[in-house]
Amino acid sequence: MGSLVQLFAVAISAALLFVVIGLVRRRRLTEEYSFLWIVFALALLGLSLFRGVLDAVARWLGIFYPPAVLLLMLIFFVFIASLYFSVVISRQRQQIERLVEDHAILEREVAALRDASVTRGSAGSPPGPPSSANAAESGS
Amino acid sequence: MRARIVVPARNESASLPQLLAELAAVCPLADVLVVDDASTDETAALLRSAGVPHLRLRLPVGVGGAMRAGLRAARRDGYDAAVRLDGDGQHPPAAIAPLLAELRRGADAVQARRDPTGYRAGAGRRALAAFVRAWLAGPLGRRAADPTSGLWAFGPRALALLSEEHPRGYPEPALLLLLERRGLRVAEIPVAMRARSAGHSSLTLPRAALALWCVALSTATMPRRRPAALSHG
Repeated sequence: MGSLVQLFAVAISAALLFVVIGLVRRRRLTEEYSFLWIVFALALLGLSLFRGVLDAVARWLGIFYPPAVLLLMLIFFVFIASLYFSVVISRQRQQIERLVEDHAILEREVAALRDASVTRGSAGSPPGPPSSANAAESGS
Repeated sequence: MRARIVVPARNESASLPQLLAELAAVCPLADVLVVDDASTDETAALLRSAGVPHLRLRLPVGVGGAMRAGLRAARRDGYDAAVRLDGDGQHPPAAIAPLLAELRRGADAVQARRDPTGYRAGAGRRALAAFVRAWLAGPLGRRAADPTSGLWAFGPRALALLSEEHPRGYPEPALLLLLERRGLRVAEIPVAMRARSAGHSSLTLPRAALALWCVALSTATMPRRRPAALSHG
C-alpha cells in the first residue's frame, strides 16, 4: 500500500491510543470501558506498522486493496462497541429505575419516622436537625 | 387479607380528586397508595394537600416501575395483597371488592376484563388489543379474554414476585404471561370500565406501534425459568 496511506493509518491509531490513555489517566474513562478501545487501538497500530500482516489478511480474504481491511475492522469494531454500550446503557437504566423506586419508598418511610418522633414530643432528642420538620413535610 | 390499593399516576391531577373521593367511599384512604411517576403537573401538590399516602418517584420509570415500587412499599408496610387501580379514572373503585373476593377464592392474581356493557375504546385501540390477544395466545397456550387490561388484584405470592420483578413498558400482557410462567393461578372477572375522566392517555399512535413491538418481544422472549438477579456490577 502507498506510504502516505500507511503514515495516515499509523498516525490515526497512535492518536486514538494516546486519547484513550489520556482519558483513563484523568479518570474520565474507567478501566473497564477503556479495555475495548486500547485493544483495538493496539491492533490497528500493529496492522498499520506491519503491512505484511495486512497484506496476508487481505489475500486470505480476497480483498484486492489491503487498506480496505483496516476499514472493515473499523466498521466491525464500531458495531461491537455500540452493541456493548447498548448493553451497558440498558443495565444502567434498570439500576437507575431501581434506585429511583427505592429512594421514593425510603423517603416516605423517613418522613413517617420523623413525623412520629416529632409527635413523641421534645422529650428525648429528635434524630434530625431542628429544621427537619420542613424536609419531612415536603417528602411525605 | 390486608389489601393496599396501589394507584399509578403520571400527570393525573385532573382525574385524581374525583378518583380519591370515590375511593374514600369504598375503603379507608390510609389503605390507598398513589405512586406519582415524576408528574410534571400539580399531581404532587394535590397528593400532599389531600393527605393520601403516596410515593413520589423523582424520575419517570413507567407504570411497570411505579407498580413495582408501590407493591414493594405495600409489602414493607405489612400488606399481603394489592389492587392496581389506574389514576386516570377508567377503573371503577367498586371493582375492588369483587377482585378481592376472587383472591379469597384461591387465585394468586385476578385480572379484570372489560365488560362489553362498559366503556368501549376506539376502533384503533380495540384493533391493538385484538392483535395482542392473538399474539399472546402463542406463548400463553390459550386465548386470554383481555390481556391489555390494567385493573388487577394480587395475592401474597404475586405480591412477592412483582415487588421485585415487574414487566416494563406497557406491562399488562407480559405481566399475565410472567405470572402463569411462574406457576401462579390467574383468574379473570368482568368489570364495566369507564372512559378516562380527564387528561390524555400516554398511549399515542406512534407510541402504540413501539408498545406493540415491545409487548411482542417481551412476551416472545419471556424466560421459562427464573432469570438471574439484576447484576450490581
